[in-house]
Amino acid sequence: MPRDDAKNLAALCADVDALAGANLETVLATLPNWDSLAVLLTISHFEHTHAVGITATQLRSCRTVRDLLAHLPR
Amino acid sequence: MHSSLSNIRISGLAVSTGSVVRDFRADGLAAGIDPAQLERVAKAIGLRERRVAAPGVTTLDLCEDAARRLLEEMAVDPTSIDALIFVTQTPDYLQPNNSSLLQARLGLCKSVAAFDITQGCSGWIYGLHQAALLCSHGAARVLVCAGDTLSHQTDPKDTATHPIFGDAGSATLVEKTGSESAMHFIFGTDGSGAPAIMVPTGGARQPVAAGAPGAYLKMDGAEVFNFALREVPPAVAGVLKLAGWTPATADRLVLHQANRFVVSAVARKCGFPDAKCPMDLVEQFGNQSSASIPAALVHACGSTLQEQPLKIAACGYGVGLSWGAAAFTIGPVVVPPMLPFPRR
Repeated sequence: MPRDDAKNLAALCADVDALAGANLETVLATLPNWDSLAVLLTISHFEHTHAVGITATQLRSCRTVRDLLAHLPR
Repeated sequence: MHSSLSNIRISGLAVSTGSVVRDFRADGLAAGIDPAQLERVAKAIGLRERRVAAPGVTTLDLCEDAARRLLEEMAVDPTSIDALIFVTQTPDYLQPNNSSLLQARLGLCKSVAAFDITQGCSGWIYGLHQAALLCSHGAARVLVCAGDTLSHQTDPKDTATHPIFGDAGSATLVEKTGSESAMHFIFGTDGSGAPAIMVPTGGARQPVAAGAPGAYLKMDGAEVFNFALREVPPAVAGVLKLAGWTPATADRLVLHQANRFVVSAVARKCGFPDAKCPMDLVEQFGNQSSASIPAALVHACGSTLQEQPLKIAACGYGVGLSWGAAAFTIGPVVVPPMLPFPRR
């Protein structure tokens, strides 16, 4: 895993409880707590940690954690 | 739209809340929601209690109580009021408007100008601006009543939206003054986001048939959060600039009290520390829609405002999608305590 992905994943998982223990290939829909609260927490994480505005629509189109992180600038 | 108006002040404000206390955890358990999930949401979002209107109590009743208490405390003759503005999305009837009904209840003059504004969480800012405009063009005293009873409009089975809303009515007296006091406003609208907060049935587009289930409010919380993060910070920065203030020199940022999580996130992006941004109200009273900004002022700053002036930046945001920001100095003013209606 590239170093940036590992770092970003760790930061995301620290802020979004539903992602605890997830890896890049984890399918979001399989997480028991991947719900409307998790979506809010993810939007907030992107905004405050990366200054990236991810829309609810973009977020809902993500299938895996890797898809989420793909919205971060490289 | 930007607007700056001078020689106007807020001279008093009062808020009456619903009288029924609902406990988030107890209600969730009764609805069969997993206790761990309840705790997770309560902690993250900041949901504890809310005050909802008793059956049969409407926004009109709550605002009437707030207005009566305010006018009595200020010893203001109701016949001295030139205009009445009622901001709500939960009027008593489709017709007539609440402002006409309240004119009669309060005993205001027949010469009063009375009209409703159909706005939700940005509505108090709209009402304040209209009052300030009227005071700039001949009115001496304008009463703004803003409130909603959205708890009655949500589906009890909608576990994301139903536990959020509380009910309240507010009354704000705006007066023309000889002193150099200015109010600054910025407004915005993005109707492309309208479906994010909507009561789809009950209007002319999709009437509700007699006997059909009630028309419930639907809300996409994530879309609304996106919208708030995108639109509120520039609006707040804009009114601060109009007023010549900064987050360091303004005393408070009073945001629409959607929930603690949203208020804290938006305040942070506006450059305000949590300490300058009231957010305790919503944990005790719920999201009070158009009454939430005056309620936050009364709840968090009421005792201070009775003694000294505060530089306030405020922003409402919600259904429309619509937003309105204001910067004004308020105080000393008359602020009766926030009370439930009816009282025992």
